[in-house]
Amino acid sequence: MSKATIVTATVLLTGFLSAVTVQADEAEQLFNFYCAQCHGVGGKGDGPNVTADFPVDPRNFTKADEMEKLSDADIKNVILEGGPVVSKSPMMPPWGKTLSDEQVDALVQYLRKLCNCVGKPG
Amino acid sequence: MRFAVIVSFGLGVAALSVTGMVGADPAAGEGVFKANNCGDCHYTQGPAQEKTIGDQMAKKGPELWYAGSKFQQPWLEQWLQDPQPIRHIKYNSVTEENPGDHPKLAAGDAASVTEFLMSLTVAEVEAGVIKPKKSAKGRLIFVKKMPCSGCHEFPGKKFKGGRSGPSLLNAGTRLNPDWIYAYLKNIDTFKPIRMMPNFNGVLTDKDMKGVAQYVANFK
Repeated sequence: MSKATIVTATVLLTGFLSAVTVQADEAEQLFNFYCAQCHGVGGKGDGPNVTADFPVDPRNFTKADEMEKLSDADIKNVILEGGPVVSKSPMMPPWGKTLSDEQVDALVQYLRKLCNCVGKPG
Repeated sequence: MRFAVIVSFGLGVAALSVTGMVGADPAAGEGVFKANNCGDCHYTQGPAQEKTIGDQMAKKGPELWYAGSKFQQPWLEQWLQDPQPIRHIKYNSVTEENPGDHPKLAAGDAASVTEFLMSLTVAEVEAGVIKPKKSAKGRLIFVKKMPCSGCHEFPGKKFKGGRSGPSLLNAGTRLNPDWIYAYLKNIDTFKPIRMMPNFNGVLTDKDMKGVAQYVANFK
């Protein structure tokens, strides 16, 4: 392998890794801005809206056993269409008119990071 | 008789001047606004400037470029003199409580700044569309069908609403009913980056009007 090839490969790899990092940062920012108000900054379902009288328990994304039951497509669907699309509470609003498809995909990946799990094939 | 009429007229003019109804001078109010450094936290030049979450997070307080279409003048003038928190949670935060440290203005300055802010109107808010009323449909949407109550405090019986959005407890005296509807309909125009979903296209026009009527009835 020539020196030029190694340099090129290194540059490309560095660029790829930094792109991944930016996306992960953006996903965390998206989560903290839109989702944490109910789901909490750590994703445990304990955001500032969740008072003693709050009608539902927002999902705790750190519970891998529950998150594994959902496919990535299921999660994406709930974010876009809201809780009722999977017979859950309308307290989870539809974000389809607010977030882009790419932003929703980034959020799904961020939730997988929070649960440290993979979903069922979807 | 003549003296009494003159005195009455004089007192009337004085009273109106204090409330800013006579001799309205938005430019003078803008001067007071600048002198009090209000612009450090609130921008007043539209259209909306935020394009990213980072832009929104950099703001220290709400934009006011459409304040004259959003607020009711008597409420604004009173609030500037005794600014009680409208949000439970600190602006742009989901972890810190609102410290309730908004600066106060003396009565004269409050009247003057109110004149300035009430001059900041936008064409997107059409007057006379929404009349406050106990809309059953609006209530159903606000409390159950769409989760407005999940983020906004409201006069509910048991569940009194969430805490991340501005409280709507006194929305009927604070907000222009027509602005509530316009905001639901054109939210991206007023606030392109915010923690609230865009409900236009999710709710019908009739539904948004119902919600606006219901919220505008909160006293």
